Amino acid sequence: MNRSISRVFWVLSGGFVLLAFALGYWQVIHASAINDRPGNPQAIQRMRLVARGPIVAADGTPLAVSVSNNVSGQVVYHRTYPNGTFAPQTVGYSNITQGSTALELSQNGWLTGDYGAESLLVRLGLRSKHGAAVHTTLIPAAQRIATQMLAGQQGAVVALDPRTGAVQVMASSPGYDLNKVDQHFASILTQPNSPLVNRAVQQGYPPGSTFKVVTATAALQTGLFTPTSMFNDTGSIIASGQPLRNFAGEKFGPNTLTFALTHSINTTFAKVGLALGAERLGSTMDAFGFGRAPSVDLPAGMVVPSGRKDPKLNLLPSNQAGEDTARIGIGQEQLLVTPLQNAMVAAAIADHGTIMTPYLVQRVTDTGGSVLMTHHDTVFSTATTPAVAAEVTTMMRDVVQEGTGTAAALSGLDVAGKTGTAETSRTGINDAWFIGFAPSSAPTVAVAVVIENTASQGGVVAAPIARAIMQAIIARSN
Amino acid sequence: MSPRTRELGLLLPAAVVGLLGAASVASAQSRSLEAGPVAVIGVIAGLFVLMHIALRLRAPQADAYLLPIVGMITALGMVTLYRINPVLAREQVLWLGVATAVFIGVLIFIPDHHILEQYRYLFGISAVALLMATVVFGTNISGAKLWIRLPGGQTIQPSELTKVLLVIFLAGYLRDKRELLAIPTRRLAGIPVPPIAVLGPMLLVMGTCLSVLGLLNDFGTPLLYFGVFVAMLYVASGRGAYVVAGLGLFVVGAVGVWAVIPHVQTRVDTWLHPFSDAQGQGYQIVQSIYALANAGMIGPGWGQGYLLATGGNYVVPVLDTDFIFTAYAAELGLLGAVALLCLFIVLVARGFTIAAQAPDGFSKLLAVGLATTLGIQAFVIVGGIVRVIPLTGVTLPFMSYGGSSVVTNFAIIALLAVTSHRTRVPYRPRVPRRVRAEAERALAMEGAGE
Repeated sequence: MNRSISRVFWVLSGGFVLLAFALGYWQVIHASAINDRPGNPQAIQRMRLVARGPIVAADGTPLAVSVSNNVSGQVVYHRTYPNGTFAPQTVGYSNITQGSTALELSQNGWLTGDYGAESLLVRLGLRSKHGAAVHTTLIPAAQRIATQMLAGQQGAVVALDPRTGAVQVMASSPGYDLNKVDQHFASILTQPNSPLVNRAVQQGYPPGSTFKVVTATAALQTGLFTPTSMFNDTGSIIASGQPLRNFAGEKFGPNTLTFALTHSINTTFAKVGLALGAERLGSTMDAFGFGRAPSVDLPAGMVVPSGRKDPKLNLLPSNQAGEDTARIGIGQEQLLVTPLQNAMVAAAIADHGTIMTPYLVQRVTDTGGSVLMTHHDTVFSTATTPAVAAEVTTMMRDVVQEGTGTAAALSGLDVAGKTGTAETSRTGINDAWFIGFAPSSAPTVAVAVVIENTASQGGVVAAPIARAIMQAIIARSN
Repeated sequence: MSPRTRELGLLLPAAVVGLLGAASVASAQSRSLEAGPVAVIGVIAGLFVLMHIALRLRAPQADAYLLPIVGMITALGMVTLYRINPVLAREQVLWLGVATAVFIGVLIFIPDHHILEQYRYLFGISAVALLMATVVFGTNISGAKLWIRLPGGQTIQPSELTKVLLVIFLAGYLRDKRELLAIPTRRLAGIPVPPIAVLGPMLLVMGTCLSVLGLLNDFGTPLLYFGVFVAMLYVASGRGAYVVAGLGLFVVGAVGVWAVIPHVQTRVDTWLHPFSDAQGQGYQIVQSIYALANAGMIGPGWGQGYLLATGGNYVVPVLDTDFIFTAYAAELGLLGAVALLCLFIVLVARGFTIAAQAPDGFSKLLAVGLATTLGIQAFVIVGGIVRVIPLTGVTLPFMSYGGSSVVTNFAIIALLAVTSHRTRVPYRPRVPRRVRAEAERALAMEGAGE
């Protein structure tokens, strides 16, 4: 009988071992997947118990803070946004019903205090967990000007410090109030023109003539052309069997490359594009950062890469053989560029051909004020040589002084820039661009502005916004 | 060291765990250092000391580890109950008092478990009768009609008591018929079949019990009974064929029940895909899994998990009974949960050791049956919670809130204690002095005659 007894016991023990393994699966192995399930009340409660760290602007202006409440003897926290309409798509929201987005999501580890420095009291649950403060690079004065000037239109502004890559402005219009997300999310969703989209990094636009900066850089860098290379404009050329004309049907006759950029002559840049070919133009595009997107401290996948896209918005290689480089050279042919990427183009020329990696988080400090993390500037890409950058700078200065971008001119300051007016599928409706930097001798700001669906041109609607932002940023640094 | 001294020493850790646990719950809730309900813990400790004294007097050679293990599980259970519902915890202390009385009562009135053997049929019939009574007088609580309401308003769950009656019946019956079971006379489709006269009464009792429970819409308890039955049948006969036949019957029965009863189909669907109806049928198990996953390896600690919503409502339904294991594991993590499983398996191991050491078939079968009951019951509910098997509502021994369960399980421990004591100290009934004198005289006269 004892043999049967021990056998029965081993079967029972085996059952208990099975239970232990199943428990291990739920509590440890599969736990994070369970914790991340939407609607998990345990995760929601965990969120409520954490004093989330603040998100602040470059000058300390609070953008997101946590407020404590005492609910039936327990201290719980909820998130509020003292400046709820300040860069809402960049700051992002964090709440129980809608989850987290943008910086609130990407910086969650810091903000919730999950960086392995919990005190014993926190571990014992006798003190609530306090998250670290995230200090962003956003400059409130300039950001507010961008928001005001974009109001009532759809568009976006990105301003970078070309010397470091710090994002000074990241604005997208229409915006919304972050404080309304928790209770009135449906009303934000039903607003026209998708206010939740961060057009600065999530939306690609045809770059139009702003792309001529890239084409000009490629032209000079290959040595095939100089700023004084001569062209003859007859008002149109035939490319890929179709006529390609200047904006508003203008005819310029003989012109130099510099003159062609200043007056945005399409036929000249189409000729340059044809002469360069897919390989050379494509490799310059890649050097400017097309085809890959920096994270800018935002959640993975939020920033979309720029470049040529197929109709399903899949990225195509920049140097595809057989492509129409005449039209790419003037910023057409399925090119879609984010305002961030176009700001990086301006920043590359401004910073002697080097693109510094754009970033939003300058440093992270704990509740005691000690620094947990500081941003270290890194090079994202080398777009061109300092010599070529200097030549392109001179050409872009002419654009603002006597060409299409005079509306961006600042009295007493050198501004370099380029306008763009990309025609959309609807006749008479354009996407208007301005990219530029200032002061052109020693730039401290590089900017890209886009206005969607306007009947006007880049030089008219986008350039004044760029001017105001550059002015605000330069005034601050003086 | 005598077994009783060792027992007393081993009870200390349980008291310490109880004190520290209750203090940490109280501290977590008030956010300051609190001692917790020391007086109540003193009362519980006192009850265990009473049981210890009763063992000292009535079964001094009983196994030294039974009571300390039960003490530790009780401490963990009471702290968990106190954490989720202090009012129920106080009520449970009363039930522990009743359980202590029953424990001591068993030691006093059943000095030798062999007495039970002669009443085996009475136990079998009582088991059936009790379950029948539930059908007639039962009250429906949360979908199953398993409780009888007493005039005082309390409810008792006869199926808990029935499990002990059945084990005693089976132990006696199988001891009686084990030779016939071991050497079958006929074969049916290759399976050895003992005479129907041998199997008949036993199958009748088991079959009635299982079908009555099915009628009551309870599927956890039949699973428990059936498991215990197969285990005891195997130990009695030593024949694996019975296990195979039993499992075959089980599969046929389970599929049959599944095919016929829609409610069971829903149960199985919920078991396989709980998240597909997370707000409906799967709500309980999904909330329980969320709570378990939240704990991780070591858990947030007693009083620190999210088990109570505002107003004191449980985040996981029936947290105090069926899901008490979740309440525990959600705060003490995988380490704490596995430690609790170890306590249960060690308790079962003590029962099996007692069985192995016992000199006779009835004692062996009784100890195996009782220990298996505790083991399978813990397995059925924990297995349901961690989704190893479909979820069925049975109590977790010594942990769940509920009087019937705790009283019955302490009776089981008392019976195991008596069994182990009688292995070492065979029972000598006390003979009245007059009878003894007469017998001595008769012996003396016989001697004189030679």
